[in-house]
Amino acid sequence: MSANAKQVDSKKLIQILNNYPGEKRYILAMMQDIQGEFKYLPREGLEIIASRVDVPLSRVYSMATFYKAFSLVPKGRINFKVCDGTACHIKGSNVLIDQIYKHLGIKPGETTADGEFSIETVNCLGACALAPALVANDKVHPKVTSSGIIEIIKSYGGQINATGN
Amino acid sequence: MKISIDHQEIEVNPGETILEAAKKNGIHIPTLCYHEAYGGQGMCRMCMVEVKTGHTTRMVASCTYPIYEEIKVKTSTPAIEKIRKNIVALLYRSSPSSEFMEKLYRQYHGGESGEVQYSFDFKDRCILCRLCVKACEEIGTSAISAIYRGTDKRISTPFDEASATCIGCAACAQICPTGAIDIFQSDTERIIWNKTFTRVKCERCGEPFATREQLEYIAARTGIKGYEARLCEDCRKKSMVVKIIEASGNGS
Amino acid sequence: MQQAINDTKRMILVCCGTGCLANGSMEVYQALQQQLSNTQVQVETYTKATGCNGWCEKGPLVKIMPDDITYCQVKAKDVPEIIDKTIQSGEIVNRLLYRDPKTKQRYKSHHDIDFYKKQHKIALRNIGEIDPASIEDYISRDGYQALTQALKEMAPAGVIDEIIKSGLRGRGGGGFPTGLKWKACAAVDSSPRYIICNGDEGDPGAFMDRSIMEGDPHTVIEGMIICAYAIGASAGFIYVRDEYSLAVKNLAIAINNARSRGYLGKDILGSTLSFDIDIVRGGGAFVCGEETALIASIEGNVGEPRDKYVFPTEKGLWGQPTIINNVETWANIPVIIKEGAQEFAAIGTEGSKGTKVFSLVGKVINTGLVEVPMGTTLREIIYDIGGGIQGGRSFKAVQTGGPSGGCIPETMLDLQVDFDTLTSAGSMMGSGGLIVMDDRTCMVEIARYYVNFLAGESCGKCTPCREGLKALHETLEAICQGKGKVEDLAFMEDIGETMQTASLCALGRTAPNPVLSTLHYFRDEYLAHIKEARCPAGVCRDLTEFYIDAELCTGCGLCSKNCPVNGISGEKKEPHVIDQDKCIRCGECVNQCKFNAVKVR
Repeated sequence: MSANAKQVDSKKLIQILNNYPGEKRYILAMMQDIQGEFKYLPREGLEIIASRVDVPLSRVYSMATFYKAFSLVPKGRINFKVCDGTACHIKGSNVLIDQIYKHLGIKPGETTADGEFSIETVNCLGACALAPALVANDKVHPKVTSSGIIEIIKSYGGQINATGN
Repeated sequence: MKISIDHQEIEVNPGETILEAAKKNGIHIPTLCYHEAYGGQGMCRMCMVEVKTGHTTRMVASCTYPIYEEIKVKTSTPAIEKIRKNIVALLYRSSPSSEFMEKLYRQYHGGESGEVQYSFDFKDRCILCRLCVKACEEIGTSAISAIYRGTDKRISTPFDEASATCIGCAACAQICPTGAIDIFQSDTERIIWNKTFTRVKCERCGEPFATREQLEYIAARTGIKGYEARLCEDCRKKSMVVKIIEASGNGS
Repeated sequence: MQQAINDTKRMILVCCGTGCLANGSMEVYQALQQQLSNTQVQVETYTKATGCNGWCEKGPLVKIMPDDITYCQVKAKDVPEIIDKTIQSGEIVNRLLYRDPKTKQRYKSHHDIDFYKKQHKIALRNIGEIDPASIEDYISRDGYQALTQALKEMAPAGVIDEIIKSGLRGRGGGGFPTGLKWKACAAVDSSPRYIICNGDEGDPGAFMDRSIMEGDPHTVIEGMIICAYAIGASAGFIYVRDEYSLAVKNLAIAINNARSRGYLGKDILGSTLSFDIDIVRGGGAFVCGEETALIASIEGNVGEPRDKYVFPTEKGLWGQPTIINNVETWANIPVIIKEGAQEFAAIGTEGSKGTKVFSLVGKVINTGLVEVPMGTTLREIIYDIGGGIQGGRSFKAVQTGGPSGGCIPETMLDLQVDFDTLTSAGSMMGSGGLIVMDDRTCMVEIARYYVNFLAGESCGKCTPCREGLKALHETLEAICQGKGKVEDLAFMEDIGETMQTASLCALGRTAPNPVLSTLHYFRDEYLAHIKEARCPAGVCRDLTEFYIDAELCTGCGLCSKNCPVNGISGEKKEPHVIDQDKCIRCGECVNQCKFNAVKVR
């Protein structure tokens, strides 16, 4: 079942948006709350924001696509955030990204077809002494090695692709 | 107050941009994202000029730089020409399917004009001057906007789908300097930004002139209904002239 | 150094900055709380969760006062022993003390350790010593005294003068004299006026501002209120990067506490000043650290900068006079007002007064946050405080100033770090990120990394930046894959120059810096990629081949045990061999080998 077919709780959406005055300056905050609640920005959410604040939908859509904090596609059940800050980068964060692609078939910004896993890169978690670091659903995994990432994927129920390169 | 552009002394109003002042005085500065209806946007950076205030000299975008003091401006120097040359090269590199950019590239880099291959990918012709977005905002319905950011920046309707608010007026396509926006149309239909519109024929001359949505939108905004609303621009003008003649006839 | 409490009580400070939290410090804190309430302890003991101590490499850090004991890398299972030995009997648990790898000595207090001895904390003065959620803690360390002094004894113009005299320059990277900025804003005849704190710290590898916002939010708030008094502002905004949720939380608590004490709100401390602060969360956009983009973002737009021919001090947020300063800049204000401009100006160099906080990360032994007087050399920071390079490898370069800066090679390590010296060497101090790189870092790949980062973070509005980054990225990708040409180098330098002169904002203008500086100092590395199809550092996968030197290999098997593709074979005590068809170039074998037997061809 595609995650996009999920019905969005409109009442909840409106409840969230009513926390703010209908002014342009609160669009970012409205989107953050929706993202926090639904783990993505449902299309309906953008449309309601546009009408509540009285700005064109195109402008709201521009903001939703400009700011990386938001996702227009639901994240996976397990969302991997691989830190690609410079300290993590020079300690091999790209190896982790490659391994996730090799075993789960997803690149940063993508979600697996079954909605189980998604991966994104973040620019510095601020835990540079633990480089390379990744976060799986708010759990920080420090100093992840190229074998360590395989264990992590397995621990969350991912299938390891033993063949090919 | 007085400033000088290329050693020519000109009179300006405080707050006017260098580009406006130059245009008023017939001094040419190349632009790509400027339009006389909307002013400059500071995006293409072709209009960079050298400004000297007192002892400091720096490069600024003439379309957004407001004049508040006496300055000496140079619209062309070797450094400025290098910038323009590189901007054109970079834009052509990204929009190789644009005849406009190909011509501009030859103008700055020399060489014979070549064949330009049409690409179905709109991005291969778009130079992101955003004049289309501006036009849609001002005279359309803000149906398109610049989405994403950085090297992924592009123009589109929300979700890359037919926009509920687009009225198919094609103001965007008309203003686009590179002709990047595709319109497919017949006598009865217009397809633009993935949306199909019905073209309406002028009641007087029978030529298709607007989309039904466009007419509805104009009627809602201006309150103009009735016969005039169903005429193309030419015919409406002619009908106006007839009315004026009739009115002056009645008056005398 | 103040002691937190008197001798009949003990205070246990557990570092709960993001770095230590990731390493399990919350479990330590909770174990302490739980076991202290269960155990019969003679001495009254309090626990505090503090912000980042800066010494992230040795976290989780636990400090015990008044004994001034610092325990490193503490785990929850160490807690019973700490309570039993140290709290009950005043004995030290030696194995938890820091052990200097060079002298082999153990040190009782962090004050005696090189990492801290050479620091001079002003902006970071409270972090690690206080509970950020407690306004009482802040007040007990002279908090809000500067504000009281300013409101009761100084005129607004006097406050501005004091900041000018101190020589304080913006700590976010721009380095503009703070006092002059305030003066210019105060002179504009228009109200309302706004104050903004730029907490959108985006340089990857930099976490100075995060630590201040998390660990000592009141110093930022007090700084802003003092400015509100000085320039006559009515509303303030702290723009916090979206990823910093703990900072947002602690700032919100601090603002509420400040309001209930009368430091924010109407008629502050009985004066005519009315000022309050709102938190605005960023949306995940590095470009919003640029002040005009930040303003656009607060107003409810995409974070696209505009040409700054009229400054925000004149026309900023909603067209009104606005002061925007960085978190670290705000953190210095209360100290300048309380101790006086002269004392602040006595630290640092002629053109760069005071101290600077750096995030020292990468291949250095002591990674973490350090605050040193301006003018300290790179060598002192990296070697004396940082302890030198990890794993006994050799220093190659230090990246300063983040994506807007450049790489400094070994020959320039004696350069002083301040606003102007690094800039003349082709880099910049920037917001304070210092990324230390060793011989296993490829400088071409680093340039590619930064360009890739900026290509995604650029707002995309202006041609030189957007298209320039695209061209640089394509060219660097090709070079890293062995498809580069010698002409590419001059091409990148040419495009880089256009980006520097024609881009709309500082992001675009400084975007080519990592490329230009690595081209300047490490040109032969680029040429090796292009002419020899070889990556000397062994990083670029298509141009790297690892092999094991049979002379040096002891056959210990550490490499093959840790190889993720089982690509290394060999008998025990026999030289091992790498299967080139299986090898994914992850470099784990190089990291593991204690004999330096794994080499790059």
